[in-house]
Amino acid sequence: MPEPRSGQLGSLASSLASGCLPGEQILAWAPGLRKGLEPELPGILICTNFRVTFQPCGWQRSQDTPLSSEYDFSLVNIERLEAMSGLARVQLHPGSQLKFIPEEILIHGRDFRLLRIGFEAGGLEPQAFQVTMAIVQARAQSNETQQYGGIALSKAGQGSGFRKPPIPLLETLEDWEMELKKQGAKGWRVSTVNERFDVATSLPRYFWVPSRILDSEVRRTFGHFRQGRGPRLSWHHPGGSDLLRCGGFYNASDPNKEDIRAVESMLQAGHSDVVLVDTMDELPGLADVQLAHLKLRALCLPDSSVAEDKWLSALEGTRWLDYVRACLRKASDVSVLVTSRVRSVVLQERGDRDLNGLLSSLVQLLLAPEARTLFGFQSVVQREWVAAGHPFLTRFGGTGASEEAPVFLLFLDCVWQLLQQFPAEFEFSEFFLLALHDSVRVPDTLTFLRNTPWERGKQSRQFNSYTQVYTPENSQSPDGNCINVQLSVWDWDLRYSNEQILQFHNPGYDPEHCPESWFPRQPNFMVPGPPSSMWLFSRGALTPLHQLCPWRDSPSLLAVPSRWLSRPATSSESLADQEWGLPSHWGACPLPPGLLLPGYLGPQIRLWKRCYLRGRPEVQMGLSALTISGLREELACLQELLRKWTPRVFPQDRCEKRDPNTFFSQSQ
Amino acid sequence: MLGKGVVGGGGGTKAPKPSFVSYVRPEEIHTNEKEVTEKEATLHLLPGEQLLCEASTVLKYVQEDSCQRGVYGRLVCTDFKIAFLGDDESALDNYETQFKNKVIGENDITLHCVDQIYGVFDEKKKTLFGQLKKYPEKLIIHCKDLRVFHFCLRYTKEEEVKRIVSGIIHHTQSPKLLKRLFLFSYAQNNTVKKLEKEKLASTQKEIRNSCSSVLGTVPELFSLRLPAYFVVPTPLPEEDVKRFQGHGIPIWCWSCHNGSALLKMSALPKEQDDGILQIQKSFLDGIYKTIHRPPYEIVKTEDLSSNFLSLQEIQTAYCKFKQLFLIDNSTEFWDTDIKWFSLLESSSWLDIIRRCLKKAIEITESLEAQNMNVLLLEENASDLCCLLSSLVQVMMDPHCRTRTGFQSLVQKEWVMGGHCFLDRCNHLRQNDKEEVPVFLLFLDCVWQLVHQHTPAFEFTETYLTVLSDSLYIPIFSTFFFNSPHQKDTNMGRESLDTQSKPLNLLTVWDWSVQFEPKAQTLLRNPLYAEKPKPDKGPRKGMRFKHQRQLSLPLTQSKSSPKRGFFREETDHLIKNLLGKRISKLINSSDELQDSFREFYDSWHSKPTDYHGLLLPHIEGPEIRVWAQRYLRWIPEAQILGGGRMAVMSRLLEMMEEVQDLQEKINERHPSQAALHAETRHAEASCLLRNSARLSSLFPFALLQRHSSKPVLPTSGWKALEDEEDLAKREDDFVDLGDV
Repeated sequence: MPEPRSGQLGSLASSLASGCLPGEQILAWAPGLRKGLEPELPGILICTNFRVTFQPCGWQRSQDTPLSSEYDFSLVNIERLEAMSGLARVQLHPGSQLKFIPEEILIHGRDFRLLRIGFEAGGLEPQAFQVTMAIVQARAQSNETQQYGGIALSKAGQGSGFRKPPIPLLETLEDWEMELKKQGAKGWRVSTVNERFDVATSLPRYFWVPSRILDSEVRRTFGHFRQGRGPRLSWHHPGGSDLLRCGGFYNASDPNKEDIRAVESMLQAGHSDVVLVDTMDELPGLADVQLAHLKLRALCLPDSSVAEDKWLSALEGTRWLDYVRACLRKASDVSVLVTSRVRSVVLQERGDRDLNGLLSSLVQLLLAPEARTLFGFQSVVQREWVAAGHPFLTRFGGTGASEEAPVFLLFLDCVWQLLQQFPAEFEFSEFFLLALHDSVRVPDTLTFLRNTPWERGKQSRQFNSYTQVYTPENSQSPDGNCINVQLSVWDWDLRYSNEQILQFHNPGYDPEHCPESWFPRQPNFMVPGPPSSMWLFSRGALTPLHQLCPWRDSPSLLAVPSRWLSRPATSSESLADQEWGLPSHWGACPLPPGLLLPGYLGPQIRLWKRCYLRGRPEVQMGLSALTISGLREELACLQELLRKWTPRVFPQDRCEKRDPNTFFSQSQ
Repeated sequence: MLGKGVVGGGGGTKAPKPSFVSYVRPEEIHTNEKEVTEKEATLHLLPGEQLLCEASTVLKYVQEDSCQRGVYGRLVCTDFKIAFLGDDESALDNYETQFKNKVIGENDITLHCVDQIYGVFDEKKKTLFGQLKKYPEKLIIHCKDLRVFHFCLRYTKEEEVKRIVSGIIHHTQSPKLLKRLFLFSYAQNNTVKKLEKEKLASTQKEIRNSCSSVLGTVPELFSLRLPAYFVVPTPLPEEDVKRFQGHGIPIWCWSCHNGSALLKMSALPKEQDDGILQIQKSFLDGIYKTIHRPPYEIVKTEDLSSNFLSLQEIQTAYCKFKQLFLIDNSTEFWDTDIKWFSLLESSSWLDIIRRCLKKAIEITESLEAQNMNVLLLEENASDLCCLLSSLVQVMMDPHCRTRTGFQSLVQKEWVMGGHCFLDRCNHLRQNDKEEVPVFLLFLDCVWQLVHQHTPAFEFTETYLTVLSDSLYIPIFSTFFFNSPHQKDTNMGRESLDTQSKPLNLLTVWDWSVQFEPKAQTLLRNPLYAEKPKPDKGPRKGMRFKHQRQLSLPLTQSKSSPKRGFFREETDHLIKNLLGKRISKLINSSDELQDSFREFYDSWHSKPTDYHGLLLPHIEGPEIRVWAQRYLRWIPEAQILGGGRMAVMSRLLEMMEEVQDLQEKINERHPSQAALHAETRHAEASCLLRNSARLSSLFPFALLQRHSSKPVLPTSGWKALEDEEDLAKREDDFVDLGDV
């Protein structure tokens, strides 16, 4: 590390070390000037073995938020590094050499952020060179060895020894039991058959299966599905329907009659009406998503060469919005399937780890007002993505180039579309989605850095021992208290200050729109015997199925991969289309309360500008959103004033009642 | 369900070809007929409105994707509108009727609002015009406010069909005389409304009061285009002004706070004769000498007719653009939907908006940053001149972003400025080529600003939408004349013959004619960041502002190095005016581009001051489709419980709560009252509250709410299901939807 030259810089440098995480080393630093945003900000550019940080002068890293969402660029997040000097502009790949002293460097993030640092002249050029080269090398190393696998955060170790996760992480039996109870799914129970991850490593330790099915049956039947991912309950609709998800049928297996019956009754889940949804149909494949995202990133670069008047067709050319639209459309269809009658709807995807998660979470957002709260949304993501084994690491390119596909980001974009279509229905704001969007590559927690719950669990053990609060694997003490210090992405205060977290709340959220319950909850029908109607939902239409599983009748059917039954050409298309096709079909009949039907027309699908165009100088913060929060603050302030003056007379305020948990308490 | 026929319940899906077939058998019609006539709504006629022809048993299709359903009723044509009288509208919810337009019902089309009429003959769609040999079985009417109506005439008596179709075609498409406009018969017969004092009087007074000290006025009626009063530079000799009937003289539009002024000038007529050209040249030289004397020394000229948009371009672009929203059937819609962005781009309407905004920013930059005067030059100074000068004012003058300010801006720049509304809207159907939506383009540009900087505007996008609709309602005089002069001569204002009744004219700005007070709250932006008033003394900050703006610097304060540069430019201009076109004018030079960029970037990198200069974003992703105006009639675009309305209702609610609390505080602590004196209008909130879920198309498309289609096609299901209890349960479930 170079010697600081002046007293001022020296004091800055000494403050650098204090902001470091355990195990973090400062590789190089140089004073610089952040450009592109007015006013230009002087500070220090630091490269460590974990991240690149720009520390503005006078900014102190707070002990409470060891990471900064604004100034940190984790190494994996860096997509492109460019150095400029005069007119020369060079892109620096890992391993490449810099041949001049840079006047300015540009760091393009994979999350669409851009950091532009100009270096001052005046004897500090060597430092500018060093820091640039340090970034190049650090990137190369971080690419080689996945060494960022979990930083033990000082706060977690030292602070309160027991830290309750902000949302149930679904790693304990209690979490699952509780969640099941909350959903009111009577015919279901938590299965512990995968407690040792021996049914499937990609499945969570616990999941929900129909009460009548024995664990031994579960074990047997799951073997007939790809990667052992058999049908599990995703969400129970208060109206009685169940949303299930499972992997594709494993065609090579040859189940006996009993197994088939078990598979069928698991799919049937006690309903007489079963719809299999072919998830992959009409939705983009992994490669498509990846390609579209790459194109979108290229288009949104600040120096993208697309002319203004060709922008729209270029945007169309990325196909990203097309995919967003396809997802919304399918989610809308499925949510109609779930609400329109009591049935079991099974989402079936070959791997059951990507689009199934996307679809089932979107459907829940559309159907359940609870899922649209901050807490509920985080729980849904935790359940349908993290616990369900979405391979985050692979999909974000952590394990090599192949199979990289930002499915999760596609999901976030879909949620954003919902947010802007229904601005009063969601408790969280665009800023929350942005925060989540940016978190996928931040190496602070394991949430998004492992492919399966199993890997996450393994790591978490090391993790715990590292911070010297090691507890054995099954660490439930008898009273049900779990001493698990694992931090998750949901511990927002690691990266976000309180003011930022306040912005996660949507000021326009109208909790009155959130009905207590749907209609009177119906008892679960448990229909003995085989289901009386079976359907395949594919291409926007319902097709009758003669059997749920592909194995039963003739062996020739085994050859047909996922759509084992050829669809009758015209049979029921119109019928299904009428029932499930367009939102306008609800006509004069009011929508069931709580159900949102999103628009997915061309003009309604928009570009998430505040996310994708962040690197551009012209994009700025929200306008009306701030005004609404201003209004809301005024409201809070007035209420406070009134309460002070009339402590007893004034009853609990209406606004407070509606929104007890968050806003005002946090602001104090 | 009376009066509603459900036709062809199980029709095809997104059928590959559009189907206009109706499956109703004549017998069904006859059984319904009696009830239909009994239930039918009565025709409401405005004062002076006359019924011209009518036809009964017309089926109005409810536009939906697969099945063709409709409502029976009477189709009538008056000298004001085409109206469809279906079943009575008592079914409407209360809150929805509050927002109804009082003049134009949802099934009314004013004759001026009709854009195209198509007939369907044997499933082939043809444009209808002139004399018809054969009468269509279906009539499709495209409206200028982008509604689409389908009327089935199959069950109507033949002679009625003939009468109504030829009547409609005649009254909407044949050329008309100005005096024949409904406006006049309405004005003569409307005795209920008292005469509205028009704002123009006050506008003129305002101009005169504030300017007379600096600039001169010419109180003389000498040009057919110009208003009776306008402002010219003081040094300009009076006779010069009259010489070319108002052409070739700079007219003051507006002055910026730093004293630089925006001027406009109509070009001199193009002449072949060398002698006349010489005269013109020396005249122009004289003019330029005058305006290049202090305090007008630096004038930058923007020639709008040669190197900016042409009216032809605007017309073509809008024609393409509107086709994207005029949807005959859903199938067509879904087909185009896939290519939405490229279709949108190929219409280049958004690009035209961008170019207008960009030009306005350039002018703003000259006025604001370079302290230059800007002279807009156009053939008649009444199209793009109006557009740009008003855009510049909206961007620079916060007063123009209030409702009254915007209203007087439109009055001043467009109505008094001589924009040919009659020709540009083609109200008289005399020349289709003249029909160019310049004013709509202006509104769309303003919408971009409103959308990007909502808190800076006192009015909402609904205001703009409603304003754009009012262009076609011929009871308001505002948009039905080519110039103030034409209006005066036709209204007989100056000739005081008392033999005819005084004409009772309405202006568009009297919103109470169209909307109930409650509905008018939707025109006001609850998020408007009002300017904090400094003290309670001078209530009108506006007058104060004008004085400030007009204090022209009479001293030499401008940088001299630039002078030579712009001198040169005017030489170019003179050459240009004399017909020797020089394609590359000065404003394409790099220097100006750079300074524009710098100005634009530096403004956008600073936090926005809603009471100061306001610049729009003009990058590709930022120019958007005015969804409220263009998508409002498309049922597929409806989002129940979503859209901007959802936030709006929440906002109004919160505002009400704030007001409530403030009142409480004031009650308890009168001393505090002064602090929170500024309570805002929140009376509207109660309206929106009772309605649990508004549609995103609210308050426009009430239409779609009527469509009642069986939610579940139970027949199809039952056939496939064998268990009886299942069928029962299914029925139960269907009912639950209504709970």
